[in-house]
Amino acid sequence: MKAVLKREIRSYFTSPIGYVCIAVLLALFGYWYYIVMLAGSSSNIPYVYSYMLSYCMMIIPILTMKTISDDQKNKTDQALLTAPVSVLSIVMGKFLAAFFVFFVAITGTLLPSVAISFFGAPNWTEILGNYVGTLLYGGAMIAIGVFISSLTVSQIIAAIGTFAVSILLVIIGQISSSVSGTWIAEVVKWISFESRYDPFTQGQFNLSSVVYFISVMAVFVFFTTRKIESRRYR
Amino acid sequence: MIEVKNLTKRYGSNVALDHVSFTVEDGTILGFLGPNGAGKSTTMNIVTGYLSATEGTVSISGHDILDEPNEARKLIGYLPELPPLYLDMTVQEYLNFMYDLKKVKLPREKHIREICSLTKIQNVYKRLIGNLSKGYRQRVGIAQALLGNPPVLILDEPTVGLDPKQIIEIRNLIKNLGRNHTIILSSHILSEVQAVCERVIIINSGKLVADGATDRLAHDLSTDHRIIARIAGPEHEVLHAIRAMDKVVEVVSMGEKEPGVYEYHIEADLDQDIRRDLFALLTRKGWPLMSSRNTDLTLEEIFLRLTSGENHFTEQERRVLLGGKADKDGEEDENTEDVRKAAMDAVNEEGGEEE
Repeated sequence: MKAVLKREIRSYFTSPIGYVCIAVLLALFGYWYYIVMLAGSSSNIPYVYSYMLSYCMMIIPILTMKTISDDQKNKTDQALLTAPVSVLSIVMGKFLAAFFVFFVAITGTLLPSVAISFFGAPNWTEILGNYVGTLLYGGAMIAIGVFISSLTVSQIIAAIGTFAVSILLVIIGQISSSVSGTWIAEVVKWISFESRYDPFTQGQFNLSSVVYFISVMAVFVFFTTRKIESRRYR
Repeated sequence: MIEVKNLTKRYGSNVALDHVSFTVEDGTILGFLGPNGAGKSTTMNIVTGYLSATEGTVSISGHDILDEPNEARKLIGYLPELPPLYLDMTVQEYLNFMYDLKKVKLPREKHIREICSLTKIQNVYKRLIGNLSKGYRQRVGIAQALLGNPPVLILDEPTVGLDPKQIIEIRNLIKNLGRNHTIILSSHILSEVQAVCERVIIINSGKLVADGATDRLAHDLSTDHRIIARIAGPEHEVLHAIRAMDKVVEVVSMGEKEPGVYEYHIEADLDQDIRRDLFALLTRKGWPLMSSRNTDLTLEEIFLRLTSGENHFTEQERRVLLGGKADKDGEEDENTEDVRKAAMDAVNEEGGEEE
């Protein structure tokens, strides 16, 4: 796992992908920070963070699009799958590498608040709640993105597919309001990433949501390994 | 030792491999021949555990590739058809990555340096693989397979894309490695197999069609039983007379080569020298023998005949090809015509399947 992890992280930073993703996320975030803080002369820092979800939706498909598909296209998977390592450790290496880049980007968004904390007292509970929530949401989305990448040899299809799924998982919450009262609404609300993410933006540490996101990661990492192993039996 | 038993691979209804079995002893270089799409790469992918077989088993030094994948894979160095290279890495980064991935225990610096000098890639060590020529990429692929000094090497067309000088270097390298490694090498360059391999396996349409020592295969099929003769005499009668001879399996006229002189391809039973009998016959009939020579089947011709779909081998020859003894056919000599017919039928059936 360590070898794959190291290679993948290096690959993110020898190509522009890692830098671009981090830079775009921080630029968008910084701009929004500026708009809310200065132009809107508001002191509601957590409000700034609550928009992280949409920025993440933009960069996660780019981070995950080539994780597995590129190996399948360039046949480098022949080196990986004939090496004495398990498929799970290969997938974990790739998942953690994408998560690492995401983690760096999200951790970067704490800097403005750290700067402000020298001059005022931002609500760190809510900021950290947002931070942890975003990381959990990102982890789950990255696991899904890696899985979608394993379904195709085309990076573009993987990226668009992941983007579509991430939108679906957010707007699914709105569907629940239109079918309110039925058990379907309950199920849909339970699945919705947005309704799982929201408590964190209010600084709540919701254990069931934590477990939910971590389960999604585990399930999709597992699906990815099964998908790769199934290629053997084509 | 590599043991492959009854390997079958189906892609849907398409049979890529059909009950292929062979064993490679330690320290042997096995050549794997076949036309495009014959199943060479599929076999290699199954032997290395990249694909799984529909039926059959593969074991590497007693470790089954599916039951004990990690133990078996540790013993294998694999160069696939397309070297599995990350183009965004330098040679140095890539080899270090593969070193980690394969969990090699040998001293890192020294081991990688040795392999680089073996494959002669020291001068591109710091360059991006994406910027290397095909020949260099191929050599980096070979270097990657050698990492960890695995006892079994599986090389899928290792000399593709190299220039003639490099080809000779790599062949010599493989020959040297063959002293203490078990190597399977696939190729469509027959002279390469002849030059490097002690044993050759030919597969066609997923079936094993020949298996034997490289020299012996060519030798067994080029003995005195196949003659090209030019005989002055009426074509039809000559054909008829020769066909009536004992031990003659087949006579084909190749047409008039000189005025009144026809060329005939005469095929006798294996290990039967019919030159004396032929001479006696021609003398008796008063047809001058203008020239006569034995056909020497090169590996190339064997290969072409095995894989072209025409000009097939007779049943007895097939047996030789698959490693059986020609002597066993002794009792069938009386009714060679039947054997030949049966063989032709089998061939025709097979030809139908290939379509």
